[in-house]
Amino acid sequence: MAFDLKKDIIILDGAMGTVLQQRGLPAGGVGELLNLTDPDLLRSVYREYIDAGSQIIFANTFGANGRKMASTGYSVEEIITAAIRVAKEAAEDTETKVALDVGPLGELLEPMGTLPFEEAYSLFREMMLAGAKAGADLIVIETMTDLYEAKAALLAAKENTDLPVLVTMSFEERGRTFTGCTAASMAHTLEGLGADAIGLNCSLGPDLLLPILKEICANTSLPVIAKPNAGLPDPVDGHYDMAPESFAAALLPCLDAGVTIVGGCCGTSPDYIRALKQAIEDRAPVQRTYVPSAFICSAVTPCPISGVRVIGERVNPTGKKRFQQALLEQDLDYILDVAVAQEDAGADILDVNVGHPGVNEVEMLPKVVKKIQSAVSLPLQLDSTNADALEAALRIYNGKAAVNSVNGEEEVLHRILPIVKKYGAAVVGLTLDKSGIPQTAEGRVEIARKILNTALSYGIPREDVWIDCLTLTVSAQQEQAKETLKALRIIREELGLQTVLGVSNISFGLPARSLVTQNFLIQAMAAGLTIPILNPNQKEIMDAVAAFRVLSGEDEQCRSYIARFADSTNPAAVPASSALTLEDAIMRGLRSDAAKLAKLSLAERDELSLVENTLIPALDRVGMDYESGKVFLPQLLSAAQAAQSVFEVIRTAIAEKGGTPVKKGALAIATVEGDIHDIGKNIVKTVLENYGYEVYDLGKDVAPEVICTVSREKKLRLVGLSALMTTTLPAMEETVRQLKALPHPPNVMVGGAVVTADYADRIGADHYAKDAREAVEIARKVFG
Amino acid sequence: MVVSEALRYLGAANDAGTLRPQVEQMMGSIPETPRWTYRVFDLTFQNDTPSLSGFILPGNTAKKMLSGCEKAVLLACTMGLSFDARLRALQARNMAAALILNACGSALVEQGCDEAEHEIAVRFPNLYLTDRFSPGYGDLPLSAQKDLCALLDTPRRLGITLTDSMLMNPSKSVTAIIGLSCAPQMACIRGCGYCSMKETCALRKGGKHCGL
Repeated sequence: MAFDLKKDIIILDGAMGTVLQQRGLPAGGVGELLNLTDPDLLRSVYREYIDAGSQIIFANTFGANGRKMASTGYSVEEIITAAIRVAKEAAEDTETKVALDVGPLGELLEPMGTLPFEEAYSLFREMMLAGAKAGADLIVIETMTDLYEAKAALLAAKENTDLPVLVTMSFEERGRTFTGCTAASMAHTLEGLGADAIGLNCSLGPDLLLPILKEICANTSLPVIAKPNAGLPDPVDGHYDMAPESFAAALLPCLDAGVTIVGGCCGTSPDYIRALKQAIEDRAPVQRTYVPSAFICSAVTPCPISGVRVIGERVNPTGKKRFQQALLEQDLDYILDVAVAQEDAGADILDVNVGHPGVNEVEMLPKVVKKIQSAVSLPLQLDSTNADALEAALRIYNGKAAVNSVNGEEEVLHRILPIVKKYGAAVVGLTLDKSGIPQTAEGRVEIARKILNTALSYGIPREDVWIDCLTLTVSAQQEQAKETLKALRIIREELGLQTVLGVSNISFGLPARSLVTQNFLIQAMAAGLTIPILNPNQKEIMDAVAAFRVLSGEDEQCRSYIARFADSTNPAAVPASSALTLEDAIMRGLRSDAAKLAKLSLAERDELSLVENTLIPALDRVGMDYESGKVFLPQLLSAAQAAQSVFEVIRTAIAEKGGTPVKKGALAIATVEGDIHDIGKNIVKTVLENYGYEVYDLGKDVAPEVICTVSREKKLRLVGLSALMTTTLPAMEETVRQLKALPHPPNVMVGGAVVTADYADRIGADHYAKDAREAVEIARKVFG
Repeated sequence: MVVSEALRYLGAANDAGTLRPQVEQMMGSIPETPRWTYRVFDLTFQNDTPSLSGFILPGNTAKKMLSGCEKAVLLACTMGLSFDARLRALQARNMAAALILNACGSALVEQGCDEAEHEIAVRFPNLYLTDRFSPGYGDLPLSAQKDLCALLDTPRRLGITLTDSMLMNPSKSVTAIIGLSCAPQMACIRGCGYCSMKETCALRKGGKHCGL
């Protein structure tokens, strides 16, 4: 190339869309068709940009993806081939390079929308292949607001082409994208995945993007791009408020901050690029000093390891019968509950382990990761020895993950580290190898060195290598506690690496375990442990972390510590009085009291009698109050949730005894195809589950075929369908039709905002459920 | 006001009892505020059918609503994807609270539309605003949503995208059309008789109405 992406100041082009609108193209049209219908117009715009000084022009392919082009009658390849050809013709005999321009797909990915990650990847892959084949010099992924979508596009570019890839996202003034992605999360994730340069485009003018650009510069070693709008548009006439000269002047502080690749987005034109070129003509790139530091993240939660960070250990089946049962039954909701509780208890990172006999980890690990990321914002540590499972989960993970773990064995290192590198993860190295755990600190440090050096040889940066020098049970090998602490100190001080340690194991087999665990944790943190793995639900353990953060100075002005204990003097936090009955607790929606009372109650009677004589009657009484208008839906749901906590007590008790759970009948529920609003369906599910029914939740936007398959395979007697919009009623009708055509058709109940009893009748549904309460009555009728 | 609106969505318009303080508390805990964008277009009529910048609004509802108007405003308002994420996270924790949050979001996005409308009224002190109406009202097809979102460039400006079935993401999003006229407008959208939801409306099923 005529320039060095890594070193030089490079000028990009300005807007295409708003320039075309100025030349008479109506707003909102499909601009990509111009590649075929009016190439001369495009060529003239490119020429103007090249003459103004653009060293890279973006071909007119922003929305040329299979989803958007489907209605045009042209294939993605046809449009992209034409677009690149036109741009290359314009750039002929100049040093300007042509980029394949890739914008968002226009539909939200899961879990925010319904487009699966893998489908997004395929759509991008089609574009990347066409662009490379047509001879694009590089790829630009731009205007992304969802880090997950940017990842799908970047992976598609890296895996299917050898071209350099630039990625820019659009941020709001508050420093996040529409989907809540932070600048730090974006920078670390995209650098890890192998982008060649990253930055911002669109949304705001250069002045307002400056603080976000600084944040990106502080979090990446890559060249940083700024391609802002010409200020803000006037709502009345759509004109942007910055003139070319003021736009160029406002970009100069961005260059001072370390940005090296600049251009313009909406509202800019060749005049802006000319002004920009003039303004920066004599400037040399500013040398940034970037200090790499340990960091993982989800899209919305950056987790710099700048103090003690707690990894929650509970998403793990080892020794937990109830969890094992959930894994085998694919009860993802239970697993999500375990994750949610740890986030709420103050964990910073969650370890995710689904290894158990009878569980296919390659399928289950990504499934569980997706489920957890749908409702938990914390970054995750993927815990498996199965390389395929790790790769499958790293692929669909949104953010920068950690991998747990490798060890000093050559074979393990060479199997796992390439995957860690490819997806830009951090990795935990256990200080053991084929000969076991070295008995001395020095032996463990030796293995740590080997792990570090092998990781470095794969191009994994030092700060992404975390060492676990292993906790041994003190009641069995008493002298080893000292060695672990010693190894920790050396690894921290001499190698300067982050350290991980599962602390709970230390106290195994001893009375008053938490005292020993807490004491060991404190000593380990003092010796340099930065990332303890523990059970965050144990208050005294987390108290120790809180106190340590005060003493280390990390908790500035002791704010978090004070907040943590502010509630403990509050009388409202004291559990309700002993006079409270289980019925009352359920009816008043007191979840933790209901669970406690249920545990006490199980000492005196069996599970079935608890359900039949207490739980269901209490729920029924709330149900009647709801029907008579004495209480409203939120209160009905509160009672259902309290009942759920009682059920959880019962399920755990049965699982511990090795029994099978009480279930009164199984049914599936789904929001029909095309419909994405699922809160109503979720309410019905909560209530039905708390009457003891097993509910297969098929989710939202579910195709009739999927519902039929589940009904057939699970031999279901009841299926519930929900629709919220008039536009999706035909999908409900079609689903009912297909279900009724099955050899053993299930009972079908339908409901949702736009569904009426008449309509239910007309489309051949067996039952119409006005609300969750009626759904229970229908289930009673069907299952007896 | 916005609390009462949320209570109405929860089916507890009058005598909400202990629900009112819960809604008030939830409302106070929501960091997101509604954000909006709008564009003003000149209105032309081709055989009585209103059109703005090539965007043709078919049917009697649009014709009636915009008759006598010189300009029309396209408006989009949303609580954003962060609100949806909050709602998803709360559903995994406390369904009852999520239901209240859901109602608060609906009330807040409508409040945002009211504020945007006020802003427009202030910018055009010499023009009168018609009632706002949306694709799906009366006989204005839901498919008009597509052009409306494209004209406002809602994916870039607000993060609003459409599914193939014309539903908007984020879930708490509203699009609307408002006519601007030199003469005062008769209120004509109020009442169930004009609403395309009248056959299936949950409030009507319960013998109530939304007050619009």
